[in-house]
Amino acid sequence: MNDKKKILVVDDDEGLRTVLVDKLNISGFEAVFAADGEEGLEKALKWHPDAILLDVIMPKMDGFEMLGKLRDDEWGKRAKVIMLTVLENADSVAKAVEGTAQGYLIKTQHSLDDVVAYVKEVLNKK
Amino acid sequence: MPSKHPLIKHLGLSFLVLLISLFVLFLTVNFIEDIFESPQNYFDGSMTQARVETIIIYGAGVAISILFALTIYLLLTGQTSTELYTQSTTRWLATEREKFRRIYDDAPVPYLMLDSEGKIYEPNKATLRFFGVPPEKINLQGLFSFVAEEDKKKGEELLQNYKSGIPVNREEIRIKGANDKRRWILLSILEMKEPLTKKGVGLVTLFDITEQKQLEKAKTEFVSLASHQLRTPSATIKWYSEMALSGEMGELPSKSAEYVKKIHSTNEEMIGLVDILLNVSRIEMGALPVETKGVNVRELAESILSELAPQIAEKKIEIVKSMDTAAENIKSDPKLLRIVIQNLVSNAVKYTPNGGKITIALEGSGMEKKISVADTGYGIPAGQQKEVFTKLFRAENVKKLGSSQGTGLGLYLVKSIVERLGGRIEFSSEENRGSTFTVTL
Repeated sequence: MNDKKKILVVDDDEGLRTVLVDKLNISGFEAVFAADGEEGLEKALKWHPDAILLDVIMPKMDGFEMLGKLRDDEWGKRAKVIMLTVLENADSVAKAVEGTAQGYLIKTQHSLDDVVAYVKEVLNKK
Repeated sequence: MPSKHPLIKHLGLSFLVLLISLFVLFLTVNFIEDIFESPQNYFDGSMTQARVETIIIYGAGVAISILFALTIYLLLTGQTSTELYTQSTTRWLATEREKFRRIYDDAPVPYLMLDSEGKIYEPNKATLRFFGVPPEKINLQGLFSFVAEEDKKKGEELLQNYKSGIPVNREEIRIKGANDKRRWILLSILEMKEPLTKKGVGLVTLFDITEQKQLEKAKTEFVSLASHQLRTPSATIKWYSEMALSGEMGELPSKSAEYVKKIHSTNEEMIGLVDILLNVSRIEMGALPVETKGVNVRELAESILSELAPQIAEKKIEIVKSMDTAAENIKSDPKLLRIVIQNLVSNAVKYTPNGGKITIALEGSGMEKKISVADTGYGIPAGQQKEVFTKLFRAENVKKLGSSQGTGLGLYLVKSIVERLGGRIEFSSEENRGSTFTVTL
């Protein structure tokens, strides 16, 4: 059995999710992706990842909606979620994550190393 | 306004006519009498004594007549003038009333009256057009029953306010207009007292701002869309170039690494440019909200300096901090203040040659806090200093440096934000000696 931490990346932008998954895998995680909220919710509930990186604006089901549905689930209540956003939504995300998600990252302002460091920090928190 | 009082207008003329008439009468009577009494004496001139007496008697009679006539005249004209005055005032009131009625009825803005219960009466034509109904369909209907479902609660509050005499002034609310379409309205109710019953009634204006609202929404959506569309590819370039440079996917040949580094740093510049551009559009659209809270200026400056550390190190610039810790906590909008200081410091870094010095100072005197950024850079030519804060301004001396970094938007944005924060910005500069920008909040 491997003891790698499982990370689910939910983002509709193919380029971004690919590089994120690659980076996380290189950094010692086991990362997979989902392309929208619906797929993300399904994978999360089936796979029970240790952390979820969740984009906000997505087709079919957006990040907030997926987060809401996730919190309705018994396991999903305690899942660790980091929202991914562009600066534009940073304010609304900051407000929305209070009490519902573990934190958020602004895509254009944080480097991949920042992302990895933040994921580790969130995983280490109780 | 009614014209001059009729008494004054006609007094002079009437008086003159009266005098002349009496004088003619006197002469005629006197003459006829003289001729009839003693025609020959009259003609040979021996009746002088008698004539003098006659003149005195008649003179007294005339004087009494005049006084009497004048008294009668005054009484008569006095009465007439009151009548005339009343008449002209009535006419004037009727004209004014007609003017008011025309304004009320034909104005393009919907006006209507509300009784003390909030029921509509006397809707004007624009109101009928607005609701798309004949008068009988709207008279005695509750105004607030037309409020759209989304705003029902607000409608109820406003009705309560109206009933309890709290002014309703320019309240934004959605109302169901013609064809059941939602219209955004600025609702105002001017309270009045009905003169006879003394009951409180309201004059209502429904100012349609639907188009304004749509425009606002379109603008905000555009900025939000543009920002999302521009930032997602920027983030992609950022992370891919980082990944390539990290060597985690295999080492790049040195020349390639140099190219990718250039892609990465140019992309970082573009991210900054997009931020500035979007902030400028937001400022110009009036869509940059100010959220004031406690800000620690020293910590803010430190975090900006650490972000810019790579560029500072590359140019071997010395940073001097002169912070009055007693003044470091202020009330302002942290995000906006960050943009201000970030722009000033990054300008200083950009426009200071290698080995220069940048001093960041914070001082407080009373309620005022001064944040200043001084550099030993290229400075701004004296002849161009007036234009420093204008949009797209770039100083001639730095244009010649061939640097592609300046956008001409930074200081324009800084000044706009400082003013939104209720502060002011000043600067002093000397070419080849440096510039000092001071923000007072």
